[in-house]
Amino acid sequence: MATHQIRKRDKDSLTQFLGWLSVGLGTAQLLAPAALCRLVGASGRGASHRLMRLMGVRELAQGVGILTRPRPSAWLWSRVAGDGLDLSLLVLTAVKNRRARSAFVIANVLAVTVPDVLESRHLSEKQGEPQRGMLVRKAVTINRPREDVERAWVGAAELREKVLSAHAQVSFADAPGRRGTELAVEFLHAPPAGDLGAAALKVAGKDLPTQLADDLRRFKQQVETGEIIRSDSTPGGHLLTSQLRQRPAQPLEEVAR
Amino acid sequence: MKALCWEGRNKVEVENVPDPKILNDRDAIVRITSTAICGSDLHLLDGYVPTMKKGDILGHEFMGEVVEFGKGVGNLQVGDRVVVPFPIACGACNACELELYSLCENTNPNARLAEKMFGHSTAGIFGYSHLTGGFAGGQSEYVRVPFADVGPLKIENGFADEQVLFLSDVYPTGYMGAEMCDIRGGEVIAIWGAGPVGQFAAASASLLGAERVIVIDRFEYRLRIAERHTGAETLNYEEVDSVPEALKELTGGRGPDACIDAVGMEAHGATMDDWYDKTKTSMMLATDRLSALRQAIHACRKGGTVSIPGVYGGFLDKVPFGAAFGKGLTLKMGQTHVHRYLPILMDRIERGEIDPSYVITHRLRLDDAPDAYTTFRNKEDNCIKVVLRPGRVLGDGCCVLGAGC
Repeated sequence: MATHQIRKRDKDSLTQFLGWLSVGLGTAQLLAPAALCRLVGASGRGASHRLMRLMGVRELAQGVGILTRPRPSAWLWSRVAGDGLDLSLLVLTAVKNRRARSAFVIANVLAVTVPDVLESRHLSEKQGEPQRGMLVRKAVTINRPREDVERAWVGAAELREKVLSAHAQVSFADAPGRRGTELAVEFLHAPPAGDLGAAALKVAGKDLPTQLADDLRRFKQQVETGEIIRSDSTPGGHLLTSQLRQRPAQPLEEVAR
Repeated sequence: MKALCWEGRNKVEVENVPDPKILNDRDAIVRITSTAICGSDLHLLDGYVPTMKKGDILGHEFMGEVVEFGKGVGNLQVGDRVVVPFPIACGACNACELELYSLCENTNPNARLAEKMFGHSTAGIFGYSHLTGGFAGGQSEYVRVPFADVGPLKIENGFADEQVLFLSDVYPTGYMGAEMCDIRGGEVIAIWGAGPVGQFAAASASLLGAERVIVIDRFEYRLRIAERHTGAETLNYEEVDSVPEALKELTGGRGPDACIDAVGMEAHGATMDDWYDKTKTSMMLATDRLSALRQAIHACRKGGTVSIPGVYGGFLDKVPFGAAFGKGLTLKMGQTHVHRYLPILMDRIERGEIDPSYVITHRLRLDDAPDAYTTFRNKEDNCIKVVLRPGRVLGDGCCVLGAGC
């Protein structure tokens, strides 16, 4: 049996979650130190705001490191060290100000320390060269014989050009049980700046996996039904970017055909 | 044209909106002659279905007259009377070939949203949130019908709107609920909910050969209608100590062979778990209220079937899955594959086996729709089913709100 390489990478979703947690928390500490001081039960006087901002810079750096590196073991261990530092400062705050909320925050930091340690150990056990990028495969099954699909593909010049410029491999295969044709596009997805870069491209609507998934869906619609389905809220047909900015489901004033 | 629009949680209004236009070659424009309010529209009204947007036109049960069609529609003529199925199906994909029309692979232009939530997308549905495509609904004067060469059923036998309107949704939904029970003759079927879907599930279960049908609800007027029109036995859940225990005792200790949940995500119940659901949903900590489903799983006999035509939308809390596993139950569910049932059920209507219009209690104008939603939701005035007639004035047998029919 084949061992699949699709979507294989060193970082799992827990690592990514911890990376985004660091970015979120660090940003909050940098931008709103007073609110965060109140939250942890600190007095907010003296150097506490500056210290909060400093810890925010640390969190942010850790988050960026985790999200941009292919195998961020060291960055994850730095989170464990950061948890130790945070706990020490929080205990000092609790002793000094005697506020219940400090104890609540300490409990939360302890709860995050556990996955931090487990995930750091998990990633440290990985051997060999870090996996750079990820093999992504976007596929649709089209309910037509293979020759029909291949002929339609030849006619889809714009899509073929996009696939070519992405150095992607295209394959056609009969679907199991003679249930149409599987059209797959496979490519190495290695956006600059790792997960951070991928997220930025997604927000900008320039993420290649998303674009290809949209294009293949529209190609399937065209081949199977002869048209791209349009609704009142999504008059341009299926595109992820338009799904985030939908109009109400009521008829348009003017129609572009 | 006038259309009923969702304006936010618990608020709908009749507004003037642009007339629909042909967007694709296989579209048709239908002038609505009759449209109904569905129980599942209340889930939209109450804010239980995500991805609604202010201004969305509601309505997925409708019929009317073809006034325009695209050049890809070869089977319709201007003036044809048609009933339109609520799911939009392309007729060409693998799901449509398997007659799983509500799972059509091509008709949801917002498929990506649905895939994020469900893993895969369902078909597009008229007037039923942006998760199912963001299509304008049919509680309006006109509607655009995509793939009009696939879905609409031509009415050429002279039947009145009211006799065939419910082929668009609730009659096939009730029928599919009964069909999923795999009735072979002699079964006991218990049905939660005596709304239109429950009524048609009861009628269909009897027609398919069930020996006993027991309908469960809390509204006596609904139970009486089920009794009168479907021959079902009834159980008022507010008057019994425990519905599963009562059903067990009524069925020789065995339990019903199949249980149909025709209630869905906004169940009420005289039970602690219902209060638990209400508390959690009111705090946005849960998505659905499922006391009917819990009871159905609990009551069903060992090796039986739980059929779920009632709509669920999110992440269900405290589902007694251990009971379902331990008793070896079969769970069947899903949006109705309406297209599959149109010829079968039209045939039953033509043969006089059923006249689905018996569930209609209120006939109103489109302008009255906001009040009709309130009446229907609050089960005021013995309301079971509201039919709206756009563009018609009262006088031809229509009731005014509050008069009851």
